[in-house]
Amino acid sequence: MSVEASNPVRVPTVKSRARIGTLLSLTLLGLLALMWLALAFSTNSFWTLNNITNLLRQGAMTAILAIGETFVIITAGIDLSVGAVVGFASVIVAWFLTNGFPIWAAVFITLGFGLFIGIFHAFGITRLGLPPFIMTLATLTALRGVGLLITNGATININNDDFTGFSQGDVFGIPNLFWMVLVVAIPAYVFLHHSRFGRYLFAIGSNPEAARLSGVNTRRMIYIAYMLSATCAAFVGILLAARIGTGNATQAEGWELQAIASSVIGGTSLFGAIGSIHGPLLGSFILTTINNGANLLNVNSFWQRIITGGLIIVIVYFDGLRRKKR
Amino acid sequence: MSTESHTNHSPLGDGEENPDAAPILALKKLDKRFGATHALKAVDLEFQAGEIHAIVGENGAGKSTLIKMLTGVHVRSSGEVFWKGKPVDLATPHEAISLGINAVHQEVVLCPHLTVAANLFLGDERERFGLLQHSEMVREAQKIIDDIGFRLPAAALLSELTIGQQQLVATARASTRGTRFLIFDEPTGYLTRQEAAQLFTLIGRLKANGVTIVYISHRLEEVFQLADRVSILRDGQLVSTQRVTDTNEEKLISGMINRSIDQIHYKEKVSFGDEILRTEKLSGKGFQEVSVRVRAGEVIGLYGLIGAGRSEFVQSVFGRFPKTGGQIFWKGKPVQIRKEKDAISLGIALVPESRRDQGLCLNLGVGVNLNLPIYKRLSKGIIINPFAEATAADKQIRDVQIKTYSRDALASSLSGGNQQKIVVGKWLAHGADLYIFDEPTVGVDVGTKAEIYKLFAKLLKSGAGIILISSYLPEVYDICDTLHVFRRGRLVASHVTEKAAPEAILTEAIGV
Repeated sequence: MSVEASNPVRVPTVKSRARIGTLLSLTLLGLLALMWLALAFSTNSFWTLNNITNLLRQGAMTAILAIGETFVIITAGIDLSVGAVVGFASVIVAWFLTNGFPIWAAVFITLGFGLFIGIFHAFGITRLGLPPFIMTLATLTALRGVGLLITNGATININNDDFTGFSQGDVFGIPNLFWMVLVVAIPAYVFLHHSRFGRYLFAIGSNPEAARLSGVNTRRMIYIAYMLSATCAAFVGILLAARIGTGNATQAEGWELQAIASSVIGGTSLFGAIGSIHGPLLGSFILTTINNGANLLNVNSFWQRIITGGLIIVIVYFDGLRRKKR
Repeated sequence: MSTESHTNHSPLGDGEENPDAAPILALKKLDKRFGATHALKAVDLEFQAGEIHAIVGENGAGKSTLIKMLTGVHVRSSGEVFWKGKPVDLATPHEAISLGINAVHQEVVLCPHLTVAANLFLGDERERFGLLQHSEMVREAQKIIDDIGFRLPAAALLSELTIGQQQLVATARASTRGTRFLIFDEPTGYLTRQEAAQLFTLIGRLKANGVTIVYISHRLEEVFQLADRVSILRDGQLVSTQRVTDTNEEKLISGMINRSIDQIHYKEKVSFGDEILRTEKLSGKGFQEVSVRVRAGEVIGLYGLIGAGRSEFVQSVFGRFPKTGGQIFWKGKPVQIRKEKDAISLGIALVPESRRDQGLCLNLGVGVNLNLPIYKRLSKGIIINPFAEATAADKQIRDVQIKTYSRDALASSLSGGNQQKIVVGKWLAHGADLYIFDEPTVGVDVGTKAEIYKLFAKLLKSGAGIILISSYLPEVYDICDTLHVFRRGRLVASHVTEKAAPEAILTEAIGV
């Protein structure tokens, strides 16, 4: 009996996810270029070495945070604690430096703290059954408290010129902090798109039950996602401490929202299973450019917040439209 | 509408000839398709005012589709519906409710965190100056419940009640809002004997008030106890409508069974090899003391009504849910299967019941879905070999003939049959000694069905064993070597398939 004849062929007319992603990235890249061009022509100060390196330094930190956050969002989770982890990590690294630890030791210990915070998040989510929103909201407030306890509310000044000098330095004219983005982004890209763990993250975000029944260790993958997010945040905390030369638990207030917004502008779906590394990168530099440009154009800083909020709504709305059209 | 139908001798069977007994609801050539699936085929059916009309049929015969169209959940593909002689759309649930058509579903769709009273008045709350009158509603609700004859506390939270009691609340709600036409879908499934008696009393009273009752149940004794007429559905077609006094249980069962499905089932006899899996008195949530055995080259079928505990049993074998008792033997040796990974590494593959909820990552590509169980094999360390990944995906797409233009196409873009092939196909690349298929042919077209059966034959020849769960009797009957019948969590009978009569199997599953 002929099987082929009995089934009417329905050819799905779907573009691949990759093509959609590329399209979005090109749109975002175009938007970024447009903003840079507009600012270069409308202000005298934008296209100066000083301002561009400043923009790259500031954007670098949001970008690294957003990359870490993206791993979590792809599993359909959320990490609200990253801003608090940045502040906390700046205190930790400053404390160890002022207590005579060498730079490499202080950095590794701080990253270790980040890793541990991620483990704690995943423990709460997978073992205690807390929703990611609640678990990371709890550490968001608690970590700031712990950081303030350590310094007794004070700021730790870092007197290590090698450490603080790093953030001011550059290689081939590009600020060290921006190189750090590549140090994070390239392995992150390989991990997300070319490793089986990356595939598992997407599968869990799409359908955790199907992933489980296919033999994916979903619990381990949740641990990995939150560990990556918190470790990235701790790394940003170290960079921030180097840049401002202090450790203070109240630093980086609201950065978690910057990170989430960057990721979402870059095409990550808060429902999980859709996301990339280059998307959040572009998203973070778009946000940073808006803030930078608004400063240069003497736009009231209150307006910057409103513009950022409006932009998130517009970009995500158009992205949703395009996804629906497929 | 007249309420003369208590007099059991009114000529309900030939209502068209009697102007007094014009049907309250008439379906003319009602037809429903879901993609390739033809769920309901030109059904003509009339419901008289004040009658209790039972509908029986196997799982998948089209009963739920019929209910969903009568309640406005699904819109018909073609045909006409007349309510009191006038054509109606029945396009939305709201329209159905405003006509007076209501249903009590098998699963309770109420708010568990609200009180019984609040659920009864949901959408129709008692207010004074815009404030809810809680105590007044509780008092009124208690009165309504007492009047109906149910024993339920109106002030209790719904979640504190048993499922049976919750169903009575749903019944009370459905029967008190000007309802003229009430559909019950397997209402006694979760009820105790006493609760069922309370329900039957209510049904009798509704009927006395001229309400038309549609009663869907697998329990044939209830059909004969309650109904005036009974209609049989089979494969989406109406087989017959008769007065219950003109028929009996045997006739109903033989009407429900379809004998004319021989054209697509592939059954090649493979000689049995060694035992692969044996369970001894395996118990868990939803099933007790199930003992089965699968040999190489053998298909065992698990037949039963939906909710009989078959899926729970196989999921427990697969490590999804823990067993509470009994023992599993794999190739003769006792084994502990605590998680899915344990089962997979032994060599068990599960194709779950629900493609959408358990089988597929819908918004990921076909290739990723197919490769999900074998990524370890396609990687060096954790880095995927992109060439191996693409080759493996393309090979599966070819082997199981998935119709997709690319391995990158999203799983959601494929038809149901092709989606099912992904769920099956991902285990073929992985390889297994025992394949568990849970309702693999539900909602797939005839061509895909044939391909799935062919695949079974291939697996059996390669020395694997198969556990097939199916609620479609002709399928288990034709495909399986050994047939196990489940009823309410227990294995009630086992047959060598050739020696079992389909009537006997259906009777065992229903428990007449």
